[in-house]
Amino acid sequence: MKRIREEEIFPRNPNKTYGLMELVKGSSTRVDRGPDDMVSSWPHLLIREAALFAACFAVILALSVFKPAPLELEANPQKPPNPAKAPWYFLGLQELVAYDAFWGGLGIPGLVVIGLMAIPYLDRHHSGIGRWFAKSRRMACTLWTGYVVIVIVLIIIGQYFRGPNWAWYTPWNMPPEVQ
Amino acid sequence: MSVKELRPSGPPPSSGGSGSRRPSTDGPLTKLSKAIYRQAPEVWDNLRPLALFHNIYKSVYRTTAFPKTERERSEAFFNSFLLHIQPAKIEKHALRFTYTFGLGLLSTYLFLLLTISGLLLMFVYVPSVQDAYGRMQDLHSSVSFGYILRGMHFWSANAMIAVVFFHMCRVFYTGAYKAPREFNWVIGVILMVLTLILGFTGYLLPWDQLAFWAITVGAGIAGKANWISDNLNSLPHPPGAPPVPPLGDLTRWALLGSDTVGQEALIRFYVLHVAILPVIITLFIVYHMWRIRKDGGISSPKESPE
Repeated sequence: MKRIREEEIFPRNPNKTYGLMELVKGSSTRVDRGPDDMVSSWPHLLIREAALFAACFAVILALSVFKPAPLELEANPQKPPNPAKAPWYFLGLQELVAYDAFWGGLGIPGLVVIGLMAIPYLDRHHSGIGRWFAKSRRMACTLWTGYVVIVIVLIIIGQYFRGPNWAWYTPWNMPPEVQ
Repeated sequence: MSVKELRPSGPPPSSGGSGSRRPSTDGPLTKLSKAIYRQAPEVWDNLRPLALFHNIYKSVYRTTAFPKTERERSEAFFNSFLLHIQPAKIEKHALRFTYTFGLGLLSTYLFLLLTISGLLLMFVYVPSVQDAYGRMQDLHSSVSFGYILRGMHFWSANAMIAVVFFHMCRVFYTGAYKAPREFNWVIGVILMVLTLILGFTGYLLPWDQLAFWAITVGAGIAGKANWISDNLNSLPHPPGAPPVPPLGDLTRWALLGSDTVGQEALIRFYVLHVAILPVIITLFIVYHMWRIRKDGGISSPKESPE
């Protein structure tokens, strides 16, 4: 595009984010495009972010006041609890370890992490972005839901259904010494 | 900008009779103030509380506190140190709570709470097998608000692990990992693994029964890597070749510094938990956020067909 005039035609309005800069030959870049549906981050984004922080802080503070963090007896290497349980987020791993030590504890989790990283390079189809459960991605969503269900079920089993010697117990028959 | 320069106004403090040549009977302070007024009469005006506050505020924030025009609203974001990492204008769709549920920002907030409460806990905690548990009891009995501090760290940590996982689910279900955001998804997976490791290393520090035996179990899982070296050694190999060292035992030793969970393990987990891993995860978080902007902001249905 070629500049045709280089003088200021309209004075700049300080209350506007746009102004006439210069006149050029050629069609406008905005021709045939709809409104862009944008709003100012101030205050629309800022107020939501502040509200989210307030809610987050309030919930965490309430939890820590009314439900203090657990503290058991001092560590005693001579007195192992039965069963000794990992943190809840690793109970799925512990459950898998009960079936096969290497594959449960390292093999499968390692493959899961590599698999998760590989997802965007395997699923290259450019559809359904920006929508929850897009119809064109039904297969992908179903597979992911399967993965989530497996993760959650394994953690629940480890937390509530495993008693002494990692044997199967129902929560209402759990021996009282198991926390 | 609607910020106005405040001009000096009103009469300056009286400097006594003008034109009189009589020797002054003023004290030294009055003389000094008169001298200052003669040299720079606006200094007194600058000290008036309203003008002083206005000028200090304007030197810190170049933008007005209550922007009214579109231009001022944009400036409120890109002139702000904390806000400039975010766009000055944002798509309406990205603001819908039910699209993101704020999960990514929520995990950042929880990380912030964890950092602050963790730093405060460091004033009390001692990473020694003799003292650690006593210090935890102190937090619950003698330290002011100690149990709240520990509770905030505990609940934020547990919440962060859950929120990070839900955030990953949100990104998957909305297809937000697709081009051009593939690599940010990979960074996100790394962040999730780092979150889990941070949780695991922090789990040992209270040095109670729960901590001790959970880490014993966890370190036992790391020891299962022996399977790899055992199988490699059982393959036919050239005579005289050294056997592959037991990988699981090496990993466990690296983690615990000993055969069992003890003082060496405690100090290793402590340093990992309060120094090394927080620095690493902070770098990844910063990169993750930078990538959001560089990949075109949050995902939008405009990017692809249904």
